[in-house]
Amino acid sequence: MDLDQLKQILDLVRDYGLSEFEIDHEGLRLKVRKDVAGVAPAASAAGSAPAIVAPLPTGSASAGSLAAAVQGTAEPTKPGDAEIELEVVKSPIVGTFYRSPEPGAPSFVDVGSTVKKGQVLCIIEAMKLMNEIDSEYDGEIVNIYVENGQPVQYGERLFAIRMR
Amino acid sequence: MPDPLPREFAEALESSRHRLGRLGSPVVFFSTIESTNDIASASARAGDCEGAVVIADRQTAGRGRRGHAWFSPAGSGLYVSIVLTPARARVEGDRATTLLPLAAGVALAEAIDRMTALRVDIKWPNDLLVARRKLGGILAEAVSAPLAPAACEKLEPEAKLTPTGAARELNTVDTVVVGYGINVGPMAYPPELSDRATSLALELKRPVARAQLWVETLAAMSRRYEDLLEGRFDAILDAWRERAPASRGACVTWNTPEGLQAGVTEGIDSRGALLVRVGDCTERIVAGEINWL
Repeated sequence: MDLDQLKQILDLVRDYGLSEFEIDHEGLRLKVRKDVAGVAPAASAAGSAPAIVAPLPTGSASAGSLAAAVQGTAEPTKPGDAEIELEVVKSPIVGTFYRSPEPGAPSFVDVGSTVKKGQVLCIIEAMKLMNEIDSEYDGEIVNIYVENGQPVQYGERLFAIRMR
Repeated sequence: MPDPLPREFAEALESSRHRLGRLGSPVVFFSTIESTNDIASASARAGDCEGAVVIADRQTAGRGRRGHAWFSPAGSGLYVSIVLTPARARVEGDRATTLLPLAAGVALAEAIDRMTALRVDIKWPNDLLVARRKLGGILAEAVSAPLAPAACEKLEPEAKLTPTGAARELNTVDTVVVGYGINVGPMAYPPELSDRATSLALELKRPVARAQLWVETLAAMSRRYEDLLEGRFDAILDAWRERAPASRGACVTWNTPEGLQAGVTEGIDSRGALLVRVGDCTERIVAGEINWL
């Protein structure tokens, strides 16, 4: 992968409005993530530019220098802040977002709730199939981005979780 | 605690085993249960149990979509839940999962057709209607279930390519519980349902054997499930379109964050989404309440 290819990737991330992108290619693992709710000050300052978080060069010198170059391109300050503190759960499908198992029932989680990996966070309905969305992390819910009953798009942010 | 399967159901099951494929092992029967979907979901969460069938004579808390109750009096209907893993399809496991609710609607309509010759219409995505009255309904719920070690070997390496936000643990599989209710016998419906619901006995003016209908639904579900697993998606979509006349040329309304929208149905696309013409545009609807005018 050369710098042109990396630039193409960043352009794609921006053009398609992706909030997160990850690629594992010939020993270079690259993870691009946009600002999450202003929690990472450096990313906020960069506006909507993609923040590059925790690229993991796996040995080769070229991979290492590429990773550094990418950091320099889009994110001049510490790129690791958001990664350490916060994970964002995004919608894996297009559908309707529900915070409780049925109307009138308590929400699966609220802001401040402690969650464990595998715990149900919400339901997204598509084609009359109720999809439970599980937490992939242990932590605390610090933000819920979508109102109950609203449509969500693929990749749309649902929850922010402060990692334990 | 489960109860023994009543004799007529056990006999019907044994005589049709060869038509049930992966379905029907095990079959768990309850004379009274809150909801067959709850039992099936709990089983699915506990382990890999593709093909398990839960059936009840009566549900005390039968559920429809989003908290709608499913009226489930004793001995009058079929109340069944089946555990399936369409994500294991040979190709496009996510599409197979997306199309499962439609495939289930087709299967139930076919089973009723085969058993009674009654023409049942499907309303998107999978309500079963006779002359606009509801004969049956389906509630599908997806859960993440642990895989048994033997089943883990079937997982393709490509599973690692799921988008980050949707990444699943490699030792789990998306399992879908398909619950369905069919009104079979004459029922004393509550007043609020009487002009919106119907039953096979009401339509046919004769009783219908529940046990036989039950195994016909399992056999039809098995056939359509195999279609999904083998990637025969067009066969399901074609059968669905043929049984869903209102999916073309019908006036519908639905709520959006911007307000009420209205349009004319234009069929479904390759993933089962409802296409609706609004002026010069075609909207693609995958969820939400649709009102058919």
